[in-house]
Amino acid sequence: MNSVMSESNHLRSSLLLVLPVIIGLAILIFMSNFLGLAHNEEKLDELALGKETKIYRATYQGFPVHCNEISDGKICLEGWKKRGSRPVTLWLGNSQLHAINQMKAHDVNGVQVLFEKLASIGNELLTFSEPNASLLEHYLLYLYLRNHVPVQTLILPVVFDDMRENGVRAGLTPALNDRIVNQELSKTVIGREILAEKKSLKSDDDLAGLNDTPQKNIEEWIVSLLTERWALWAARPKMRGQLLKNLYLWRNSAFGINAQSKRKIIPGRYKKNMEALGEILRFCAIDKTNVIIYIVPLRNDVAPPYVLKEYMRFKNEIRLLAAQHAAVFVNLEGLVPGRLWGKKDATSSNGVAELDFMHFQVGGHRLLAQALFDLLKSNNFLSSNK
Amino acid sequence: MIFNSVSFLVFLVIVIPLYWSLPRVFRLWLIFLSSLMFYGFWRIEFVPLMLFSSFVDYTAARLIYTSTVISRRRVILFISISINLGLLFYFKYLYFFIDNAISVMSVFGLQIDKPVLDIILPLGISFYTFQTISYTVDVYRGFIRPEKNFILYACYVTFFPQLIAGPILRAKEVIHQFLHRPEFNMVDFGNGLRWVIYGLFLKVVLADNLAPLVDDGFAQPVSTLSALDVWTLAFMFGFQIYFDFSAYSHIAIGSARMMGIHFPENFHYPYLAYSPREFWRRWHISLSSWIRDYLYLPLAGISVQDRSTGGLAVAAKQERDAPRRSLLLVLFLTWGIMGLWHGASWTFILWGIYHATFISLYRIFAPLAKSWPDYSTKIVGWAVTLPIVMLSWIPFRAESISASLAMWKKIFSWHEYSWLGMRENIYLIVSLVFLCVIGSYFLRKWYVHTVESGGGKYAVFRISLESVMFAIIIGLVFVFLRPIQQFIYFQF
Repeated sequence: MNSVMSESNHLRSSLLLVLPVIIGLAILIFMSNFLGLAHNEEKLDELALGKETKIYRATYQGFPVHCNEISDGKICLEGWKKRGSRPVTLWLGNSQLHAINQMKAHDVNGVQVLFEKLASIGNELLTFSEPNASLLEHYLLYLYLRNHVPVQTLILPVVFDDMRENGVRAGLTPALNDRIVNQELSKTVIGREILAEKKSLKSDDDLAGLNDTPQKNIEEWIVSLLTERWALWAARPKMRGQLLKNLYLWRNSAFGINAQSKRKIIPGRYKKNMEALGEILRFCAIDKTNVIIYIVPLRNDVAPPYVLKEYMRFKNEIRLLAAQHAAVFVNLEGLVPGRLWGKKDATSSNGVAELDFMHFQVGGHRLLAQALFDLLKSNNFLSSNK
Repeated sequence: MIFNSVSFLVFLVIVIPLYWSLPRVFRLWLIFLSSLMFYGFWRIEFVPLMLFSSFVDYTAARLIYTSTVISRRRVILFISISINLGLLFYFKYLYFFIDNAISVMSVFGLQIDKPVLDIILPLGISFYTFQTISYTVDVYRGFIRPEKNFILYACYVTFFPQLIAGPILRAKEVIHQFLHRPEFNMVDFGNGLRWVIYGLFLKVVLADNLAPLVDDGFAQPVSTLSALDVWTLAFMFGFQIYFDFSAYSHIAIGSARMMGIHFPENFHYPYLAYSPREFWRRWHISLSSWIRDYLYLPLAGISVQDRSTGGLAVAAKQERDAPRRSLLLVLFLTWGIMGLWHGASWTFILWGIYHATFISLYRIFAPLAKSWPDYSTKIVGWAVTLPIVMLSWIPFRAESISASLAMWKKIFSWHEYSWLGMRENIYLIVSLVFLCVIGSYFLRKWYVHTVESGGGKYAVFRISLESVMFAIIIGLVFVFLRPIQQFIYFQF
């Protein structure tokens, strides 16, 4: 009797090991092959923008003039040196600068347009833009760049949505490791908070938990071996992304969240971003750098996805802060007409495309470049070396 | 070596088949050497320290056993404990001691520069130190005989599944299992493997995905958090540390089980506890049992237990006969030390004292509910205990005492309940996790009572359901497995 029970327990135990492994692998192989995850070469940042919007980064004479973060920024700086190391107009921003809605062949973004306009009169433009870049990140980047390039004018778009952002991306690590930047940051409360971020940097390093251990080398070796030899393993990051994206879509469907849902201020993050902006302006005053702060173009054919009272307060506070530091403030929220905006991928699982409030079509880019060029010109922020 | 890595899985794939194919003597050597290798994967230079600590207690225990003179036995025990605690003090508490000494001196006008020391906290030192101390004390108490075979004894201290973050086991529970050669048992092996995979799920899918949200929340200035945010952060960290630490215990218990070695459970739905005392019978059971037998009961002058189960709640029965006047003092002292064991910071001491306070209050108020029906005592008890326990995590996670107090203060300000200061997603995630934790308990209860006890009637249903559930868990572990974060308890 006991041996029969024991045999059935063994059988059950074996079944409960073998069956889940087979089913689990089958699900993963299905996800990988039939959903095309293993062969999907779409870049993650493009995936986030959606099918209607494409990334364009400006170049000039074979060198990029529009960078993402410090690592690729080195190539931008190399090009700038080759062109004669002239004082630059520095434009920092978010994906609005590098994304073109309904992009067609030969379309270029506002950065390319403005660069060429400035280049034609002997001026330099360097641009850095990252998706959802916070003012904390702009502050850190500015502190770093001011030690590497003579910034004549800073163009700084302020985005209500990005006031909800926080933290510093791993791509800005060189700035956090820079001695001079460290010294400057350690003098202010917000600076020290940014330095503290170093501990919890938004790292893309999957092996961060093994830092400074001999296990890291072995783990790297095994992981690279598996990635090379096993397509299913190599597809893991994409599967992870897809799973998280689906969770996001289901959440939005369940709670009726879409692109037009009102976004509220997050007080802690808002305060930090405002403090960072104050610091940027303070340093610009020290450096005698001209500043243009603008409220970014906003889709104005529909109600904005913000709590109006909060959005008004935000604009007002930015205006006052700019005035305090003698910066040029301009509200460009009505610059781009409704017809020059577009749609974005559905943010819920119903699959219906939604209004894009951040990324406009090429016409909007031209308008923005022209507006900024006019501002630079009217405020005498351009060099007259041509 | 960190459990949530591919290299650990490869390590298991090599060690476990080897273990089952070797005779007993070689198995011990395999356990010993593989455990050293496991530890060396973190930092090889600390392996001798661990061996030294083990050797001290191996020798002390043998000397205590052979000595018939009580005073001599006491001296040897004292030396052994002093060496162990001395090492722990140097590596874990010296900075804390110096910082505080400098602060005290500055009050008297003495300005001293902080010395520059480069001390790295050896991984798992708090755990293996407690384990080796328990061995020597158990020999001293006559609970066990000292082990002659150093390798067998060293296997008990260094056994890789429990080396870095427990469970803290007694020699009596483990050494005999190494001594007898267990036969390969598919049921044990299968259960062990499931525990490992389930532990990985808790770590890589749940804990590691909550971690950035918790880090972000606690990095906010307290002035920008509302009372609801403080509650949310307390619950969120409570869930993170539960998933993280119980994940470690699951993987440890599972890895040992795959080798035919049985460890007792270290967590048992702690957030379903209906009293602070009950909580400590469900949370990190091996530590609270250790504290009970090697600190609390001896200090209170009450007879001790010789097992790592039951937690502090087991002490309740013996407490009735103890002198009441000293119990309160002992309770607070014990909990202060328990807090300090977790980390060299005043925030951990505050955490310990907080728990001592609520256990004391429970002792006062629990008798008032004696006439209540059992179910209402449990429901009310749970509704009171859960928020108390969750709020205790604030000093455990916050950067400083002042930040902890400021966060607690928010809880008692009514006007702080009228707004929210974090991303909307955070509240949603915490609510979902909360419902899932509670739901999983009742689901499991129903499953055990109805399906598992139903025998052959539900056999096909059971195998199908468990297979599908486990397949999903395997799939998620496969997708999320990466050593992006260490275990929280590694820092202790």
